[in-house]
Amino acid sequence: MRTTGGQLVMLVVINAALLAVGAMISGGTFLSPFNLQSMAGQLPEIGFLAIGVMLAMCAGNGGIDLSGIALANLSGVASAIIVASFLASTGNETVFSIAFIAVALVIGLVGGMFNGLLISRLNITPILCTLGTQMLFTGIAVVLSDGRAVAVGSPELLSAIGNGLFLGVPISFLVFIGAAGLVAALLKFTPFGLWLMLMGTNPKAATFAGFPKARVLIATYATSGLLAGLAGIIIAARNVNVKWDYGTSYLLIAILIAVMAGVRPEGGYGRVICVVMATIALQLMSSLLNFGGLSNFVRDFAWGALLLTFLAVGRYNLVGLLTPNKSEKLV
Amino acid sequence: MGALSKKMLLGSAMALAVVAGSAGALMAQDKPVIATIVKISGIPWFDRMETGVKQFQKDNPDVVATQYGPATADAAQQLQIINDLVAKGVNGLAVVPMDPSVLEGTLKRAMDRGIIVVTHEADNQKNTHADVEAFDNADYGRALNKRLAECMGGKGKWTTFVGSVGSRTHMQWVGAGEENAKTHPDMVLVDKNNESFDDANGTYEKAKEILRKHPDIKGFQTSAGNDVLGVGRAIDEAGLSGKVCLVGTGLPNPSQDLLESGAITAIGFWDPQKAGMAMNAVAKSLIAGKKVEDGADLGVPGYEKVKVVKGPGEGVLIIGNGMVLADKANYKEYLF
Repeated sequence: MRTTGGQLVMLVVINAALLAVGAMISGGTFLSPFNLQSMAGQLPEIGFLAIGVMLAMCAGNGGIDLSGIALANLSGVASAIIVASFLASTGNETVFSIAFIAVALVIGLVGGMFNGLLISRLNITPILCTLGTQMLFTGIAVVLSDGRAVAVGSPELLSAIGNGLFLGVPISFLVFIGAAGLVAALLKFTPFGLWLMLMGTNPKAATFAGFPKARVLIATYATSGLLAGLAGIIIAARNVNVKWDYGTSYLLIAILIAVMAGVRPEGGYGRVICVVMATIALQLMSSLLNFGGLSNFVRDFAWGALLLTFLAVGRYNLVGLLTPNKSEKLV
Repeated sequence: MGALSKKMLLGSAMALAVVAGSAGALMAQDKPVIATIVKISGIPWFDRMETGVKQFQKDNPDVVATQYGPATADAAQQLQIINDLVAKGVNGLAVVPMDPSVLEGTLKRAMDRGIIVVTHEADNQKNTHADVEAFDNADYGRALNKRLAECMGGKGKWTTFVGSVGSRTHMQWVGAGEENAKTHPDMVLVDKNNESFDDANGTYEKAKEILRKHPDIKGFQTSAGNDVLGVGRAIDEAGLSGKVCLVGTGLPNPSQDLLESGAITAIGFWDPQKAGMAMNAVAKSLIAGKKVEDGADLGVPGYEKVKVVKGPGEGVLIIGNGMVLADKANYKEYLF
């Protein structure tokens, strides 16, 4: 694993560099507490989805989860409709918030397990399966909501998650870091984590070694679904209303983040901390370009360039290519 | 570690070059900053609006007015731009919401920070100080129908097209049109409210059917942007250009050929350029602490005597008279 530590160091360096550039061109406002809070509040939505994509990629065998944002929207939309049908948001605000969060998480979990079941039991290729469920989830959300936005309102607890600060840090960001920490611990300290990575590295060996492959796959996609549910809650908490077509651009950005974080698309390797750092890097870059008043097409271009850079640096010994005395081993 | 740090260095140098190369210089601004955020950048409608924002900037050197917009049509992307601009510290936001309901939370946060929020095409937006609409929907529908009646000589069969019967504004337009047609007893409405789904091809097929079913039909009033193209093509191919009247919402550039051939009698629209200027003008006076009163002149053509009513939230609804009816004679003034 030659990129193991390197990727993380590189991401940290890039984040520091982006902050420095931001401070330079904005005369300091980029580092103002308010902007840092604003950026920290913006990134959890996409961060949850990126961790989900990472988990699916780690499972190997072409694993990917394209249904993330669709499932996040479905969780928000369906939970808002279900909870509002038996609780008024004007009633007990805390009960409403907790019910909303619980139902959204359950929907995310069930949706993720559904993905896992289709992939492990019916042996459907993950990219096709999650493309299908993406449309299915979106479709259900459209039918449930009649294609319109659904009001969640801002009951106290939810509004605190979306807008509140704890010791100056947005609560949504703390939730994100907490969830990321849990997933990281899950991967590092449980047999599930070991099985997932080994299975991704060599599925055939995993079969012969008698790994509970189907159960690992279902658990992987269920976790991814659960994270989508969390994303749905954050979206609802921040935006007051939820809609089925929110964040359609997130799908590709989540994959971009995962690849930038050095997750191997072939499976078997990925670190949550790198995904978190990559999410921060993309957020910094995107906010930086908005600060500079540049066209958003420039942002897409910059992201693309960054992604290709990471792929090139991670996969080929690019530095070796450029410094001839080290390139003997390359060919 | 040597190779590793070189790798790092190279990667970050590349990334930095990308950022530094693309990031423009930013200066501290003392003048009030008004940011216009559109649904999506790079499409003709909002490019036209940007010409208005630039014009406003030229006419008002005491403010800084710029236009921003996401590269993809996604409310989440528009929302991020607004969040970043709020953090950067603008004084006014002029927003054309991708989806008014999804922006409520973000706009509320902006307003809580003392930023003036002006919206456009969002008469249901609650968290805004003022929503600017180009015209009153009933007035627009009536104006389209007046033009149609004039062309039809006040008699004959006519029909209407809407994007979908669920589209509130389209139904208001044709509804007002029907009301106006009642002043011409010889105008007979047949098969009304055909749904076009803004698809020129589908509209073309449907218009052909109507021409077959009612060979003596004299007029069409359409609503969605592509309807005039579909119906116009059907009229043109049937060799009825100039004999059957067609008035509807449309944009000058795509309608050029059909306007020239006479298949389209007139198109109605509002000019995004003027709407952009009006939004900025409202934002500027609200930032200065002034109020926009009923009958005020925003200094923008079509917004010389605006109607101000209470909006759905705390803010007001500012309605101009910015509709444009263009025909063969004058569409060239509005090519976009």
